[in-house]
Amino acid sequence: MSVGATVNGIDAPLVVARELGKAYPKVFRPRDRLRALGKLLLDAGEIESVPVLRDVNLEVVRGESLGLIGENGAGKSTLLKLLTGVLTPTTGSVEVRGRVGALLELGAGFHPEYTGRDNIAMSAALYGLGADELRACLPEIVAFADIGRYIDEPVKHYSSGMVVRLGFAIVAALKPDLLITDEVLAVGDESFQKKCVRWIENYLADGGTLILVSHSMYHIQKLCRHALWLRQGEVAAVGDVFDVTQAYLAYHERKTVGTPDRSVIAAQGVEFQLTQFTVNGSEQDAPVLLNRGDALRLTARVRSRDGRTPVIAFGIMRADGTAVYGVSSEMDGVVPRRESAEIWVAEIVFDDLALLPGTYTIKAHPMDTEGVRLFDTLERGIVVRGNTREFGLIRLPHRWNDALQVELPQNTPRTPSSSRA
Amino acid sequence: MTEPARCAASCKTSMKSTHATTDMARSSRTKTWAITTHFIRRELRSRYLGSLSGSVWALLQPLMQLAIYAFVWTYVFKMRLPGDDAAQTAIVPFLALGVWPWNAFSEAVMRSATAIQDNAGLVGKVAFPHGVLVVAASSASFLLHGVGFAVVLMVIELLGIPVRFVMLPLALLAFAMLYVLALGFGYLFAATQVFVRDLSQVLGQLLPLMMFTAPVLYSRDFLPERFRSWLDWNPFTFYPEYFRAKLLGIGSVEISAQIVALCVALGVYVLGRMVFRRLTPRFEDFL
Repeated sequence: MSVGATVNGIDAPLVVARELGKAYPKVFRPRDRLRALGKLLLDAGEIESVPVLRDVNLEVVRGESLGLIGENGAGKSTLLKLLTGVLTPTTGSVEVRGRVGALLELGAGFHPEYTGRDNIAMSAALYGLGADELRACLPEIVAFADIGRYIDEPVKHYSSGMVVRLGFAIVAALKPDLLITDEVLAVGDESFQKKCVRWIENYLADGGTLILVSHSMYHIQKLCRHALWLRQGEVAAVGDVFDVTQAYLAYHERKTVGTPDRSVIAAQGVEFQLTQFTVNGSEQDAPVLLNRGDALRLTARVRSRDGRTPVIAFGIMRADGTAVYGVSSEMDGVVPRRESAEIWVAEIVFDDLALLPGTYTIKAHPMDTEGVRLFDTLERGIVVRGNTREFGLIRLPHRWNDALQVELPQNTPRTPSSSRA
Repeated sequence: MTEPARCAASCKTSMKSTHATTDMARSSRTKTWAITTHFIRRELRSRYLGSLSGSVWALLQPLMQLAIYAFVWTYVFKMRLPGDDAAQTAIVPFLALGVWPWNAFSEAVMRSATAIQDNAGLVGKVAFPHGVLVVAASSASFLLHGVGFAVVLMVIELLGIPVRFVMLPLALLAFAMLYVLALGFGYLFAATQVFVRDLSQVLGQLLPLMMFTAPVLYSRDFLPERFRSWLDWNPFTFYPEYFRAKLLGIGSVEISAQIVALCVALGVYVLGRMVFRRLTPRFEDFL
């Protein structure tokens, strides 16, 4: 999938990754390493390895700003290392054009025994700067880092914040075509973070390209137009930064609430058990994206141990737990369809969904035939997209009396008072 | 244009770019050169980092080592060079021409072998041609010991033993060959060390063995007749004998031996490069 459109036809993407995958070799014992060496030298056979990144397709054009999000161990750093050329891909290909400035983790490539100045010189050499170019850059780097006398002390005496300051100052001075940073803003203090954010904003305004890894959704949303969510080495979502970060946060909230292990419930052999819950046909954990006004179709399959007819309930909650709406088959006087001896299916459709843009949790529960006891719960996330300045959870049907309609984008009231309408 | 923009714009570089034009190939060469010289300078500095006398130490150390060897070999082992007219002091230049090339060679190989592993942090964070680490380790050793070698030659001359300085260009050529040999071993071992960590330990045992099976501290003539030809199996044997023959006029080296030595040096270099090149994309996986 492609992130962003080509600014103009001539401009080739700065980064193109196709079916990019990386697997780390499984080497625990020295003997494995020896065997791997033999295989590599003789070109004989595959080395047993653990995949950490699979099938990443990515295109970043000049001027793009892409945020990479995901849990620890999702493969973000591996992806960055593949993009910077530190790692060699196991599958697929990656092409990067132009000068890349990379800040991978803390103190990327600094030698602890050497002074800040020496390390600046080394970084400059690694970036291909000559001695005279370094001389031109040096005062600016020292000023940006702003670590005072520490610039002449060994880097091992630095605090982690100072290391980041120095690293960022070097990259900033290089004015790279593509800036790749891995969770570096989080370490600096408030004023330095602001300085970095301001610098990146200017850099982006001047046409720079950014790939940013951060666990701070604030920074991602502030600096990036698009985001890519990596989950367990695969792309879970990619697209507009707000959609992806909302989906990611919703996923986390659902994860924190914690759902009981399904296999445990199955083993317990409860009377009524959910076997499947789909949202608009999707059974994925990743939230389903909807536009306001779309239809929302929820389908639940329930296994009834004793063959008794269950009542099936559906509920919509905001991500923070505020209930929005809930209804059961019994309330509406309907009975789920019997699909087989012990499986009942219920499907409910909300046409023209009135939910305002935001992240919601959908729940399904089987209840006993009387609709009294609740047996099981499955949750799914949805994200309703759209631009609106309306307040609240749902759009209530309303009309304005004796008012003059002026030209406006459809469905966008001019004043916030619409919520009181 | 602002200052940083100017300094950034003046440098062209690319990494892992697939549309390698000649211009980019050239700029990547200059970049590699810049990195290499930087690492060599860093190597040279790190050897004396924290020592008071700094570079003076680089000259003092070989002289002290030579003095110790001279004492032990002249007065303890009472070694005499073959030939009746050999002066007692002649043992000093004889030893010097074995010990210095060996010091340069063995140090270059040892340092190169761990060059990648020692810089694991850098290899894992920054994309750059890893070979420069090996080149820097080997070059620094040869630069340092080359200087020591020159000093020793001058001291020998001052001691009153004539050095054939006319032959110096030939000796330098052989020194360069030795550098190529060391670099070849360096590439080979540096790449292997990433995968097999015991290698540097093993090398620490093997290198002294290599020294004692080459005529570094003795002359081939000291060996019983039937063992003498065995020395030819040691790739280092050629060098002390060649230096002694050319610079001091002790013994002689056949032209065939010179050709073999050149082939061995180039062969080891090519092999080392090939292995290194094949393994270098996987370094980060195994470091």
